[in-house]
Amino acid sequence: MTTLTGQPSSEAIGYSFSKATSAPIREHSFYPYTDNGGSTLGITGSDFAILAGDTRSVAGYNINSRYAPKVFKIGGDDETGEGAHILLSVVGFAADGQALKERLDAVVKMYKYQHGKPMSVMACAQRLSTIFYQKRFFPYYVHAILAGLDEDGKGALYSYDPVGSYEREQCRAAGSAASLIMPFLDNQVNFKNQYIPGSGEGHALEPKKPEPLPRNTVEQLVRDAFTSAVERHIEVGDGLQMMVITKGGIEEIYYPLKKD
Amino acid sequence: MDKLVAQYSRPPHQDEFYSEQEQRELTESLPPLSLKFNLPPVDDSRAFLRAMTDDHSNPNCPIKLAHGTTTLAFRFQGGIIVATDSRATAGNWIASQTVKKVIPVSRLSRGEDKPSNEPTPGLLGTMAGGAADCQYWLRYLSQQCTLHEIRHKRRITVAAASKILANLTYSYKGMGLSMGTMLAGMTPQEGPALYYIDSDGTRLPGNLFCVGSGQTFAYGVLDANYKYDLTEEEALELGRRSILAAMHRDAYSGGFINLYHVKEEGWVHHGFNDMNPIFWKTKLEKGEFSNVTSEL
Amino acid sequence: MTGFDFSNYNRNAALHAKGVPLPKATSTGTTIVGCIYDNGVVIAADTRATSGPIVADKNCEKLHYIAPKIWCAGAGTAADTEFTTALISSNVELHSLSTGRPPRVITCMTMLKQHLFRYQGHIGAYLVVAGVDPTGVGLYTVHAHGSTDKLPYVTMGSGSLAAMSVFESTWKPNLDRDGAVALCAEAIKAGIFNDLGSGSNVDVCVIEKDKPSQLLRNYIKPNERGQKERNYRFPKGTTAYLNEKVITKEDMKKYVTIEEASGDSNLMEVDM
Repeated sequence: MTTLTGQPSSEAIGYSFSKATSAPIREHSFYPYTDNGGSTLGITGSDFAILAGDTRSVAGYNINSRYAPKVFKIGGDDETGEGAHILLSVVGFAADGQALKERLDAVVKMYKYQHGKPMSVMACAQRLSTIFYQKRFFPYYVHAILAGLDEDGKGALYSYDPVGSYEREQCRAAGSAASLIMPFLDNQVNFKNQYIPGSGEGHALEPKKPEPLPRNTVEQLVRDAFTSAVERHIEVGDGLQMMVITKGGIEEIYYPLKKD
Repeated sequence: MDKLVAQYSRPPHQDEFYSEQEQRELTESLPPLSLKFNLPPVDDSRAFLRAMTDDHSNPNCPIKLAHGTTTLAFRFQGGIIVATDSRATAGNWIASQTVKKVIPVSRLSRGEDKPSNEPTPGLLGTMAGGAADCQYWLRYLSQQCTLHEIRHKRRITVAAASKILANLTYSYKGMGLSMGTMLAGMTPQEGPALYYIDSDGTRLPGNLFCVGSGQTFAYGVLDANYKYDLTEEEALELGRRSILAAMHRDAYSGGFINLYHVKEEGWVHHGFNDMNPIFWKTKLEKGEFSNVTSEL
Repeated sequence: MTGFDFSNYNRNAALHAKGVPLPKATSTGTTIVGCIYDNGVVIAADTRATSGPIVADKNCEKLHYIAPKIWCAGAGTAADTEFTTALISSNVELHSLSTGRPPRVITCMTMLKQHLFRYQGHIGAYLVVAGVDPTGVGLYTVHAHGSTDKLPYVTMGSGSLAAMSVFESTWKPNLDRDGAVALCAEAIKAGIFNDLGSGSNVDVCVIEKDKPSQLLRNYIKPNERGQKERNYRFPKGTTAYLNEKVITKEDMKKYVTIEEASGDSNLMEVDM
């Protein structure tokens, strides 16, 4: 019997996945990362921004903690975060996230002490990017979202990849259930794939224009996004930590989620 | 008396915490060309990085970086057209559909586009490959260009700027950077100038480039219709149409069409437009894309 | 035993060697338990089926019928537990018909282990077999490679450690029916809440001497989904379309019979 093992004579067949993977993956080596699961999401409005994350921390099939916050206040006066004006959420490898948060917190505080004024969210966003990039060759295994209010008092949200590419957006979901939440947000926040009924025939049909949502609606969307993600993703659950930043300050809301 | 005390006594915590030097290291951005990047504590940091982040050789790698693109730029009688798509992918995941892949490399109004149609002086850089690599190093280039401007009291030439970037990528060769970028600009010394620089250290001047996973599709349209004598209107349309072709056929390209025109006085932004209506317009009004059916 | 088709084996082995990932089978995470009591045996299971980190089924059935008084809880590959138990169920039925006696739990367990051993673990079925027969009460575990155990209380699946901790701390000899059911349910709940691979509801099956077996489907539902806060019903005409073609009821009547259903015909059925 002929077998196809050994020499890759089937290379010519050209399956679309024929070079999807090559050599077997290293068996034993330096592996400093763990995926602690969980999900975060951020949405902005005209005069506020919301960052939320579930509070479960996992390793494999085990739950490390049912209350491990993923959203942090940045630049506050003490460990309570009093006086902070920027929010950061981190998801991925919790130790890297913690390190990143502390680094950014130190930088923002130092800025305030040296310049005598709080760091703007735009400046903080750029600085966070360089913090990420300084570890370009040994990345922080983290997806971060930064939120605050911009110079005009509008909600500002910046999302990052693990090495620091960033972009200002209206909404963003990150973490293990991002693929479940992000399409929901595209549809409900930016009204993707929604058209105005009866606005035209065929190609004249007008797309529904996105506009900043009121705070109550956004909070409802966040809770629905998470209760739904909990239903279908095993790493998401236990609790929902929501931080709302307005010109009046930061409000933290905790909401229990299913624990199974 | 209190005044005197305040004048001659030090704040109580002055010597605690970080020293001045340490503070500077913490807060200052990277000095130029230093290799002050954090490296993993292993013999072969390149292999480590590849194992962790290269989703081409290992689709299960833990860290997926934003990638994928179609960008193009070409010279014509009225200047240079720069056009890009706006999609960023991480593995099979569409990370974003709204990436700004044209990055102004100039001292003035670096970040935001001005609402008016007035040209903004300076160069344009495009971004393909690793999103963070391009953003970071084009920003670094911007810094260098500004310094050049201050030192020499005139704007940097595209040749010199591209050389700074090429020298930089060459110095990091093999470390795992991934970028394919084009620099476009017009200076009194050079006229319209276009350069291609990539992470291998390549630096090429030229009339026409397409870069990224959708480059072949863009070249197909661009080469077929390109003439140096294109009018401004025609050139913008050709740029748009080439990107559209790539967005249509390349799964890693899509989103919005970002169009720029570089003129003598500077660059002008010609919109960041959703590809979908443009596609249907192209199909229904010009009869192109007949491979796509609109019937049930 | 016939029935397995190996014709793609070499092709798939070659593809796998080239790095093509194997298709993911549903469910590896599960908590299943069993416990005997003075007059019978109880088995229980959670109802979550997963595919990687995604919940594939929130309320699946992991308790399988084998014979009227023999039931089986399955962990591991969902399809394997389903088909293996169905196959053995058939054979047990035939065996019982030909011998003219009620089937025994140990017979069933032996057939399972011999079947699984033949396939060297490639059939990923991890089972808890329980039942009552003329010899008394039987409770066994069967591993995919063919090994078996006989114990007064057993757990299996990814939540087995969580469940076992409940048994080890609270089990005592000579339980009655209610005590055994409560203990098993508590053990499953430990799995549901502490093991990510297990979740949703508790299914229980009680098999008692001289009584019909009782399948208590969704015996406890500790994880009901709350009400959604917003309404996600789209107004008609929200979705763009290229073309429309209307097929009238009259047209359809040429091919099928049509019955009028009650309710608002404009509303799509939505799972709320």
